[in-house]
Amino acid sequence: MKIIFYTGKGGVGKSTMSAASAWQLSQSHKVLIVSLDPAHNLGDIFGTRLNDRKTSFSKNLFLKEIDLQKLSREYLQREIKVLTGTYRYLQTINLDNYFSVLKYSPGIEEYALLTSIEETIRSENTFDYIIFDTPPTGLTLRFLALPRVTITWIERLIQIRRTILEKRFTIHRIRGTLDKKETVLDYREEDDEAIKRLKALDKNYQELNAILQGRNSSVVLVYNPDVLSLRESERLIEGLQELGLPLRLLINNKVTDENTTMADRIDDVIGKKVQGGVPIQRVNLSSSLLDGAKNTLYDVPENIISLFL
Amino acid sequence: MGFSILHFLRRIVSDFDATHRESVSALTIMEMEELENIFALLLLGSFVGFPAPPTFLAVELLPHMERELQVLNQRAKDASDMFAEMCGTLGID
Repeated sequence: MKIIFYTGKGGVGKSTMSAASAWQLSQSHKVLIVSLDPAHNLGDIFGTRLNDRKTSFSKNLFLKEIDLQKLSREYLQREIKVLTGTYRYLQTINLDNYFSVLKYSPGIEEYALLTSIEETIRSENTFDYIIFDTPPTGLTLRFLALPRVTITWIERLIQIRRTILEKRFTIHRIRGTLDKKETVLDYREEDDEAIKRLKALDKNYQELNAILQGRNSSVVLVYNPDVLSLRESERLIEGLQELGLPLRLLINNKVTDENTTMADRIDDVIGKKVQGGVPIQRVNLSSSLLDGAKNTLYDVPENIISLFL
Repeated sequence: MGFSILHFLRRIVSDFDATHRESVSALTIMEMEELENIFALLLLGSFVGFPAPPTFLAVELLPHMERELQVLNQRAKDASDMFAEMCGTLGID
């Protein structure tokens, strides 16, 4: 199974390009396209109504739009349930309601997004290709960076936790228990819930990171021939290089007769920025459509995804 | 009578042993509590302006951190007189 992420600045045509690629790939393979952008328009492109369950568009093509708010809500509901269960005594003084403020915590959206990608990758393994149409650059970089950032934190926290457990063990060996009612603090790794949870999370994120950086994953960068799009693409390329994520295709979208010179210059700058020679595809935008000519809006090459076949 | 003296002596030895064990482990207990405090601060430090890990990590571990939160709370209470706290731990009168 191959995983492809379409990234880029807002409005450059990520959804259109990912939809075109999905359609082309579905002619010979089983494809699932998932929109992660909170401002969905995958349904509009395919002319159908979508929700957070996968919908069949053709025999080989399935579509899905992720409801980010619903995901965040569900995740927090689960955690709040565990919390109120653990700190049950708080219910007697009605403090458990205060846990509901967790829904305003920053970063929960990125986590929910990453969880949904992870669940999709793990559960939808009957597909040959999973294409993710991502939200604009900022949020995409944040959630793609999440596994690595999290692993760094988890490793530090595990280290501290191990030292705590070692100290507890030393104390237990010296003091023993003074009376039978005394609570013995967990000093073995297999008894301590915090370290068990940390280790489980570590394993999970190591696996996810390996999938994202692996040879079956690809990032496609879509941009337009304009300076704003160029600057954001440069930042995205730097971010992807820093995270070790494989950028495999560049798409210069909305190229017209009027902006060909600009498109050439931008391709040149981006080409130099990318290490290891990533191929560039050009997608022309018809400027005669406005004059009433009966051609298509986008001139998407028939072999836009040949690289992934 | 003999039994009662023996019992008394045993009690003295056992209390002496317990006191010694307590005093030997006092410093390690302090170290452990400091580490627990740091662990809680690292996870929940965003409330007091520390760089914080991804929020969900704190949310995931919160159910298992009752003791750490109590230690954090106690440390915050004792923070106004840290010198007395240190003297108490090190047995300085």
